Order: sequence, then structure tokens, then C-alpha cells
Amino acid sequence: MAMASAKPEPAQKAMEGGEQEAAADEMEKKLHKYSRGKAANLGALRDKKLRGQLAAREKLYGHSAKAAALADTWLLPTGLGYLEPEDDLEKTYRYKQESVVKEVDLLSSRKPFDMILPLLGPYTLGYTGNGRYMVVGGRKGHIAMMDMLNLELIKEFQVRETVRDVAFLHNEQLYAVAQKKYPYIYNRHGTEIHCLKEHGKSLKLQFLEKHFLLASINSFGQLHYQDVSTGEMVANYRTGLGRTDVMRVNPYNAVISLGHAGGKVTMWKPTSVKPLVTMLCHSGPVTAVAFDRGGHLMATSGVDRKIKIWDLRKYEVINSFAARAQSLDFSQKGLLACSNGSQVEIFRDAGSQDYKIYMQHRMVKGYQIGKVLFRPYEDILGIGHSMGLSSILVPGSGEPNFDTFVDNPIETSKQRREKEVQSLLNKLQPETIMLNPNMIATVRPSRKKEKKTKKEIEEEMEDAVEAAKNAEFKKKTKGRSKASKRAKKREEEVLKAKRPFLEQYKENEGRPDKKQRVGEEIKLPKALQRFAKSRQ
Amino acid sequence: MAGTRPRGNPKSKALVAGAAHGKKKKSGVTGGAGKRGERCSRHGPRLPTALRRQLDALGPSPSRGSDDEDGEAGSDSGGDDVYEYEEGVPEEEAGKNSRYDAVEKYEYEFDSDASNADEDVPSDEGEDMEEDDAGEDEDEEKQIRILQETTGMPREAFDGGKKKKQPLELPLQPEVGDGPVTIHDLLNNIQGKPGYSKLRKRLQQQEKKPMVVQAPLPKVEREKIERGVVYQESKKEVTKWEPLVKRNREAPTLYFENDLNLGVNTVGAIASEFKPRNEFEKKMAEIIHSTEMMEAHKNDGAKILELNKIDMEDVRDRQDRLAKMRSLLFRHEMKAKRIKKIKSRTYHRMLKKDKLKAASADLEADPEAAKEHAMKQEFKRAEERMRLKHKNTSKWAKRILKRGLDVQDEGTRAAIAAQLQQNALLTRKMNSTKDDSSSSEESSDGEEDDNESEENILNKGKEKILKVLGNDNEIPTSGVFSLPFMERAMKKHEEATYQEARLALEEYDESLRKLEDGNTEENGDSVKVTGKRTFGPVKNTTKETNKKQKLDDPDKSSDSEYESDSSQHLDNNDVNKVDDVQLGTALLDDETQDDLFKSFDDIIKNPGPKTTFEVGMLADNSWKKFNSSKGNDRSNANSDTDKSMLKVPYMAGQNPKQLDHNSDSDSEEEMVEGLMTISDTKESYKIPSQADLIRQAFAGDDVEAEFEKDKLDVLNEENPEPEKPALVPGWGQWTDIQQKKGLPSWMVKEHENAKRKREEALKRRKDAKLKHVIISEHVDKKADKLLARNLPFPYTSKDVYEQSIRMPIGPDFNPAISVAALNRPAIVKKPGVVIKPIQYEEVDPHEKPDEPKRIIQRAVPNPKAKKTSAKKAKAVASNKRK
Repeated sequence: MAMASAKPEPAQKAMEGGEQEAAADEMEKKLHKYSRGKAANLGALRDKKLRGQLAAREKLYGHSAKAAALADTWLLPTGLGYLEPEDDLEKTYRYKQESVVKEVDLLSSRKPFDMILPLLGPYTLGYTGNGRYMVVGGRKGHIAMMDMLNLELIKEFQVRETVRDVAFLHNEQLYAVAQKKYPYIYNRHGTEIHCLKEHGKSLKLQFLEKHFLLASINSFGQLHYQDVSTGEMVANYRTGLGRTDVMRVNPYNAVISLGHAGGKVTMWKPTSVKPLVTMLCHSGPVTAVAFDRGGHLMATSGVDRKIKIWDLRKYEVINSFAARAQSLDFSQKGLLACSNGSQVEIFRDAGSQDYKIYMQHRMVKGYQIGKVLFRPYEDILGIGHSMGLSSILVPGSGEPNFDTFVDNPIETSKQRREKEVQSLLNKLQPETIMLNPNMIATVRPSRKKEKKTKKEIEEEMEDAVEAAKNAEFKKKTKGRSKASKRAKKREEEVLKAKRPFLEQYKENEGRPDKKQRVGEEIKLPKALQRFAKSRQ
Repeated sequence: MAGTRPRGNPKSKALVAGAAHGKKKKSGVTGGAGKRGERCSRHGPRLPTALRRQLDALGPSPSRGSDDEDGEAGSDSGGDDVYEYEEGVPEEEAGKNSRYDAVEKYEYEFDSDASNADEDVPSDEGEDMEEDDAGEDEDEEKQIRILQETTGMPREAFDGGKKKKQPLELPLQPEVGDGPVTIHDLLNNIQGKPGYSKLRKRLQQQEKKPMVVQAPLPKVEREKIERGVVYQESKKEVTKWEPLVKRNREAPTLYFENDLNLGVNTVGAIASEFKPRNEFEKKMAEIIHSTEMMEAHKNDGAKILELNKIDMEDVRDRQDRLAKMRSLLFRHEMKAKRIKKIKSRTYHRMLKKDKLKAASADLEADPEAAKEHAMKQEFKRAEERMRLKHKNTSKWAKRILKRGLDVQDEGTRAAIAAQLQQNALLTRKMNSTKDDSSSSEESSDGEEDDNESEENILNKGKEKILKVLGNDNEIPTSGVFSLPFMERAMKKHEEATYQEARLALEEYDESLRKLEDGNTEENGDSVKVTGKRTFGPVKNTTKETNKKQKLDDPDKSSDSEYESDSSQHLDNNDVNKVDDVQLGTALLDDETQDDLFKSFDDIIKNPGPKTTFEVGMLADNSWKKFNSSKGNDRSNANSDTDKSMLKVPYMAGQNPKQLDHNSDSDSEEEMVEGLMTISDTKESYKIPSQADLIRQAFAGDDVEAEFEKDKLDVLNEENPEPEKPALVPGWGQWTDIQQKKGLPSWMVKEHENAKRKREEALKRRKDAKLKHVIISEHVDKKADKLLARNLPFPYTSKDVYEQSIRMPIGPDFNPAISVAALNRPAIVKKPGVVIKPIQYEEVDPHEKPDEPKRIIQRAVPNPKAKKTSAKKAKAVASNKRK
């Protein structure tokens, strides 16, 4: 899929030894990747049995990692190629699309296009996970779905009202469209399946593939999560930060981030009312947010004419450019596309997270680019602008090797069905969304003191009282077990049982009742003021 | 032992033991003596004078030396003149009280004398015997004397038995000395006698170096030592298994395979084991194993063996032949399969015809075959008559007739016709076979005079029926038919046939009449033999042709079949046409555009569920023209694109109002304006709204301060600031002293503590050092269930646990070769496999098993292992014996 690098490398005999070394190095790297971190220090373990077991396990893990590294060469046959300058004077960003198209193979040369659709206004677009289908939405109500493999229109129609965003659900069979009042779900034939009234006037839609959640942000700044497999509204939170149409899902942990007018970026999950993280990224409104596939990099752009790249593990800025961007997108291989007016710039990590400009593309002057989106598994960048759609070649942007178990760009309908069932079976619950998904199954951090809730205390008290009431008394003589005496005794018992719980109640309230605070600032009535002792 | 024990006497074990050493007969006697003696001592104070005298006389008796005498006796004899109080024997001991069981007393006194210290020591056994004997002798002597005195009978009366029993005469010197009898005294007698040299030698040796034999250890000690030894032994036994067990325990997976070894390998082996059991088998065996049979078998076998020799070529020929046959068979089979699958009716018809032809050809050649064929035909006809299968009696046919043949399509009608034809054929030929002449006539007649022949047939049938009606059936008078119930049945049958015949007659008549009428109606094209029926009215066919015409009409779409909604469809068609209008180009023309909008309105008016509207924007392929053109490079673009590009602004400039009408323009449509301004191909900037401008202008103002405040709020919410300590007014303010002191120290301290705590908590936050970030510390309760409450059992450290789960083990994340190993259960065992006890194997304890799995129970057990286990079993058995 991806283009091989245009420059053929000269074979030199002297290089062979180096090559071997390089191969070994690469193998080492792969091994490191597949062993997923180091084993714990087993020597420090006291338990011999456990140590033995873990050692055996580790051995297996080692074997597995090795096998996986070896299999990599077969499973990932295609390497990716970038545009490479011949010397220092040559700059890759000077290459025009035409010169790129000339060099690439016939199949790839057919992929770039410009679609001039001037009538129904600025276009937005979305791709399926496998990159085969594209849905486009014109602001003025034009919706079309296309098969990008053979450039075939599947369905197009007019909804005759504003279309703000489009997003595919789990496959090309369904897609959501944010329209004037509500988001709607259509199927591949353009039939309206649902109208999601609860979402309100949504501005942006995102679909969380693994969780089957459709997230939307509406004009009141309310974030909605709806499970599209069950139809249940999972969460509905008010951000309280005003209207925004900057929303992006982090593909690594499915945390949704929103960019706000105050320069803040907030990250949300469906099970928490408050944002997980609030970052102050820009001094002006945030215009776009994008995430790397690995989930550790975030790019933001603001009105303050800055594009920042953040490391989400440390919440620190890695890179900052002075540039405007209306939309941002990271490709599968980590290229960053920014659009500004009618110009698209693509940045590439030149090593150690130093982003340098890699490619540039100018549309016709006056075209306002609304959205840039890399097509998965292809070296293509889709551009939705005010005069239609375009797609350009960006060598090295897409993942060249696809795993058919994950995403299959050339899947048959049977495979698609199979995958649908599979993904429904593997659906993750909304609570599994968290900042660090590796936390799952680890030991939960101990809370210092787990206070009982009011309800729990009440329940316990009730039990205790019940037990006290039902307690049997000894039969006593000489009038000591008269009915009245017994009743009295019982009452006492009940009180005694209650007492500790009442104390707990007070503790729970936070302060003992006898210490009533009276602030200094409380003023006594005028008549009493003369009795008040004046303090220095 | 019970027998030897004196009745009701709780005597000590010493006595009993002595008895055990001696001979049984004797012991009884000694027991008696013991009892007597005891009685004497017991009644010490009131001892009869005679007895006392006796005791005095016995005073220095050698009884002292004998170890068999118990303590009591010894003390008795020793303290002769001293009066001692002796306790009365307790009731239970004396046997008076029978509530208690007699219990042997295992008290034991050790004699300090070395020579006869241990009776268990085997080396002393001989001496012991002698000594015992001596002691017994004395006892007996005493007894005899006592008996003599008490009974007054002569001594010989009691003395008789003893002399006989004396095995070795030991001429003791009764009055040699006062001292105790020593071993020398006893051994003097064997001095110089042959056969005792060994004994003497040993004695001498012992005397030379006086060896002190230790007193046996107390029982507890002894047992302890024994246990120790046993422990050592068993430890050795158990440690042998240790590495084996350890290895099994450490193995991640244990396999238990089924033991498939049945012990017997072949049928021959089983047969060789066979042994005749009952008489029959024995006889058989005799016959079989008789020499003659064996001989014969041998010879025969030789012959057979000779026959077994075959030529190579023969074999090859045979194989070739077989292969050929097989291939032929296969081809035939394939062909048959193919043919069987053919569903074409015409094909089958042809096939049938062919078959019939072949059969007829056969018939001509072979009279036998002809006869058979005739029989078959007869049978078929009979069947047809019985079942009337083809006379529209089937469910299917009935249903079709019920619905009316006119409504049916051609195929069904043809099928019905074919069926009836079949029926007719079968029934017609019935006559033909009945008499050959008519059939020949008919065949010669050909097909032209079908009607005539039918008339003939009908007439003939009529005649026959009349005949049947006319003549009475002669009922046979003999045989089974003469039985009364048969007669009755026959009569009934007759009546039935009569009725049937009449009915048939009527039918014939009717059909004859019909035939005459229907001659005119006969359809020319129909090939039906019967010609009785025509299906469907004539108008039907005309309709069909009409339809065909319709279908052929190329202008109309296939779904315009139904004329009923054709008008409606026309409308639809128009709408569709309008839909298909290419919007991009259509908009250029005002007229068409109007049309378009009209159609829009129509659609809105239409009550259909479809809310969406087709726009042929992408479908019209117009955009593909732009494919080659690059937005940047307009010089390269061909004239077409230029045209369209030129057209676009024109269009956009011309009818912006209409566009506005068309789209439900929103308040925040900004891009529209951008689009509008495109017309003058200059770079255009959209003008943001006033509110936007203001927001943008003031957005950067105080963002950071705001954020800081926000952060503080969040921090305060999650870790609230402690309240300032305060007093209730009036409390502690009565005197100046109190007032001066200020707040109580505990309050201040508490406050400080709370403050410190808060600060610590804040420091511990993840965002403590990040000024621009707020990370929520809120614990998600719903996600809590995804975390482990506490460390799972074998783990003691969190790190180790978390490292151990870092690796996914599913098939999605691991290569296929390692998935199985990663997910193998601890024990692999098929249901039904019996897990046998562990077998011993030599295992190197220091060797580390390389394989992750370990087979515990092999399908064929290790022969070596078996041996060792057998050995082990033996060892165990011997241990047990010990």
C-alpha cells in the first residue's frame, strides 16, 4: 500500500557486515517491543515455588517474544518509504504533488483527486477504520458515501438541513450525521435509522470503536455518550466550559478530549463527571486537537497562532511552532497534518520528537480547508474544503501492513459480518476507559481510611437495634422480670446498641457537634456589642 | 497362659514368666506351690505351729538364690522370726470380688545378680534352665513336705511324678554350704563330661574378663531408640522420592496419558494362552492336537504355501485389470451422478423414449423379454386403474382444479394435460393388451381416427359390462368358498361390482354422447390423445400474447407489469427522472432548476417514509473530470476543468438567493460566505462575527490566572482547607487569665496538623509540579471493580504481581506456536483416564527440566520405571514383614 522509497540504495559490500549488525539491532528492538517490559526481579522473591513458576512463565514469554519478532519479518513485509532528499540543499517540502504522482506506481497515482462541489458548501469527511469507505458531509446538507478502493459512489443524498459532522460507526453499514437539530444515524443505503434526540444540537461526533460508544458535544457544551449496540445513553455531562466544536478521541485509551475557548483542553471518560485532566494549552481558544496512534502524543492548535505537541505522559510541551491551524490530524505512522486557510502542511518526526516540515500543499486560493484526515492504511490525506474534497499523496503516512484481524481494507461482506460479531463480543464496557488502561487488573491503591457511608452506618445500626430488641432476658424472680422492668431493660439495651453508631455519624459529619464555630467576623447586635470583649 | 495361671491368684509376673520358661506341666505344679507358700506367709501371725516349725527348718534354704521366687517369698524366708504386718490382699486381687477382671501384673524386679540378670539373653538360656529346674525342685520338695504334713500321707505318693520328669540328674549337695548356689555349684556336675566343652569354654572366658552386661534399658528408652532407627530407614525411603515429587510439583503442566497397553499383543498370543476347560473343548483340543491332524495340517499348509507363490506378471496383470475396472467403475459412477443431477424435463423425456425404444427392440428379439414386458405393462395398468393416480386425484391437481385452470400458467396446464394423457394412455392400452387383434388394429389405424377407435373401445367396454351384469357369478359349491361367511362376502362383492358396472355403463354412455358433441370443439394444435378437455378459455391465450408484447416492449421498465398502477407509476417515473437530473449542470439552467424545486416540493408532499433526497452530484461523474487536474496548477488543467471552474463562480454569483432558500441556512453559517466570495478568485478571508471577534480578542487576557484559580478550586474541593479554630463565644472568656491564653493549644495543634496534612496531600498529587495541568484525583468507583482489591495469594509484592500480568497470553497477541504453551492448564487429562500411583524413576535432583510440560503417565510405561517400582514394591513388602 505504502510507497517504497523513491531512492534506490546502492549495494556495497562493505556495508554487509554493518547490515548484519543492523539486522541484529533491529531484532533486539523487536524483541524488546514484544517482551513488553522487563520481568520483575525474581531473585528478590522469597517464595521459592512462586519464583519457580514465574521463572517458567518468563521463559515462555521470552520464547513467545522471540517467535513474534521472527514472525514480524513475514507478517510485516512492506516497509514504508518517505520522500528523501538527495542532499542537504534539497527540501522535501518543495516537492509538488505532480512530481510525487509521477514517481509513484500506477495504482497509487490514481488515488489523489480533486472533487469540486461548490454548491453545498464546506465539506467534512470521515473514514472507516479500515480506510476503505469515506463519508462526506456538505454543510448544506449533502451527504455521500464512497468506496475509495474503486472510487465508486455508494449513496448520496440531500438532507436539506445543516450538516455539521459525519462519522462512521463500527463499519460502513452505519454512519452518524450531526444535523441541524439532532444527530441522525443512516445506513449504507441512506435510510434514516435513528434520530438521536437526546444529544441535541451536536457539533461534533466521535465514535469509540472498541466500546461501541457514540460521543457528541452539543452547542451547550454537553458531552453525550451513547452505546450504539444497546441504545443506552451511557453518560451525559455538562462541561461547563461553553460551546466548542473541538473534540477528538484518543485512540489509545478512548479518552475524549475537548478544546475550549479558554485555551483549555479537557479529557473525559464516560464514568466521571469531572474531567480527568484539564490542561491549559493555549492562551486563546483552541481550534484543533489531534492524537497520535500510540496515545502519548497530542497536538493542539489555538487562535494564539501556535501549534503545540504534547507528551501526555508528562503533560509537557515537546514542540511548539508558530503557525495557525484550523484542523490537525496524526497519521498512523506519526505524520502530523495541519491545515491553514488553503494550505496544508505536514510535519514529520525527524528523530527524538523534533518535528520538521515534511510536505506542503496549496489548494486553489480561496479554498478554505475545513478538515484534514489521513486515510488509514493508505498514503493519502483527505481534505475537506469549502469547494469540495481533495485527496493528496503523502508518502509514508499510512501503515503499510494491515492485520486482517484488526482492520481489513479489502474485506468481503462475510468477513465484515464476522468481524462485527467478533467486535460485539469483544465490546469493552464504558468503565474500562481510563487514562492508563494498563491499570486494569493491578492492585488498587489503598485508601487511607475508608469511611462508611451514611447508608451503611444506618443499615448496621438497624441490624444492631434489631438484635438488641430480640435479645432474650434471663428469667428472674422477686418481681425483677416484670413486664415493665423488662421493657425498660430492653430500651436500655437498644440505646446501648445505638450509641457507637451515633458517634460514627457525628464523625462522618466531619465535626463534633459541641464545637460550634463562631467566626470573628460575626457581628453582635448593636445592643450587645458593648458586652463583647474587644480583641487586639 | 490363662490355663497356667493359678486360680484367683494375683501373683506376679515373675512366677508366670518362670512357668513360661519351664515346661507347661510343671508350671501348673509350681503355681500351686506358689500359692501354698503365699498362703503361709499371708497368715503370718496365725501360722500353725507345724508350719512355723517347718519354716524354721527351711530357714537357710537355697530358695534365696532362685530368681524365680518372687519378692514376697524371699522376704518371707529371710525374716523368719520377725513378725511383719502384711496388708490384706485387696478384694479384687484376692478374687473375692468378681467385678474386676483378673489382670496380670507386669511388675518386674531385676535381680542384681549378674549371672542370671537377663533371662532374655540367649547365651544364658541353658543355665537358666538349670537354675529354674533347681528352683522348681526346691519348690516341689517344699510342697511335698507340706502335703505330707497336712495329709499325713507318705511322701512317695506325691513324689512319683517328679522323678520321671527330671531330665538331667543334678545331684545337688543339699548341705554343702550356707551361701547361695553359684554357677559353679551347678556346673560342677558337667565337669569332665563330654558334650559341654563349648559351655565350659565360654564360662572360662567369662571368668577371665568379667563382662558386665548392662541392664536392659527401660522400655520407653528402648522404644525411642527403635523409633529413631525406623525413622532413619523411612527417611531414606522417602527422600528417594523427593526429587521426583519436586519435579512434578514444579512442572507447569502434567500430562496423564491413557495406558493403552493391554498386556496382550495379538490374537495369536491370546490363542496360545488358551487352555481347554470343559469337556467339549478338551475333546476338540484332543482332535486338533492329534498327530494325524497335525500331520495333515502340515501337509496342507505346505500345499497352500506352494499355491501362495505367484508370478510377478500375474500380479501385475491382476492389478492392471483391477485398476482398469476401478477406473471404469468410477467413470460410470461419475456419469451416473451427472445424469442423475440433470433436471431437464425434455432430457428425461428423451431418455424415456430411448429406453422404450430399446425395450421394444429387445422385445422383438426376445419373446421372453416380451412376455415380461407385457406383464410389467399389465401391472402398471392395473396399478393405474387401482390408484387413478393420473386422473387428477392428487392433492396438487385437486388444488389446481379448485382454483380453476384458467388462472393457471402454461406450465401447470401442460403438466395437468400430460398427466391426463398418461392416464389415458394407460387405460387405453388396457384394452389393447386384452385382445391382440384390436391393438393391432389400432396401431394400424394410426392417429387420425382417434375418435373412432375410442368409440369402439367404449362400445366394447359397454358390451363387456353388460355381459358382466347379465351373467350371474357361479359360486363354487366346494372348497373354501362354500363356507357360509365366504358366501356372504361373495354376495356383497357381487353387489358392489354390479353397482360399479352400472355406474361405469352410465359413464360410458355419457362419454359416448360427449364424444359425438365434442368432435367439433377439438383443437387443431393439441396433440392430446384424449382430446376430451381443453384448458382455459381462448381469451387466456390472447392475454398471454398481450403480455408478451408488453414484456418485449423495450421502452417500458420491467416493473410496469401491472397496469392497475401504471398511471401512478408514470408519475413516479417522472419524479425519478427529475431526481436523476444532474444537479450540478441542472442548476445552470433556470428552467430545469425550477423543475427540480417543484419536484422537491412534490417529494415533501409525498407521505412516504423517505426523508432524504437524492442528489446526483457525485453520481454524475462530472467531478471525475477534475481527477487529473491539480488545484494548484491551473495551467496543466485541461479546457474542461477550466470551463467548469469558470462556470462555478458564474453560477454562484447568479443565484445566491436561491441557494439561501434551498439550504436551511443556520445562524453560524460562515463558510457560506466564504463560498460566495470565491467568485472573484482572490484569496478570501471569512469575516468572523462580532461576538467571535470580541471573544478572540479578549480570550488570551487572563487565561492563566483563571486557570490558576480553577486549579485552586479543584484542589480545595478535593482536599478542603482546614477551618480556622474558633471558640464558642463566652467559652473560656470568663477571666482575664483565660483570655490572655488565647486559643487552647490542642485546637491550634489540630489546625496545624490538618494544614500539614493538606499540604502533604497536595504535594503527593500528580499535578503538584505542573502548573498548567489539573489531574483529577477522584476515584472512579465504577472502574474500581476492574482493579484487584488486594494482592492475589502467592504474591507478596505489588511490583512482581504487576510485572507478571504485563504480557497478554491470548492468540491475538502471540504467535500461534507459543499460544498453546502459554495457555496450557496445570493438568492435562482426558476424561476416563485413570491416574495411577506415582512410579519411581531415577531423577537427577540437580538437573533442571528444560521442557515446560511433563508427562507423568505415558501411554507405554517406562520399562525401567516398572522394574524399579517392582523392586520398590518388594522392599516395601519386606519392610512390612519386619
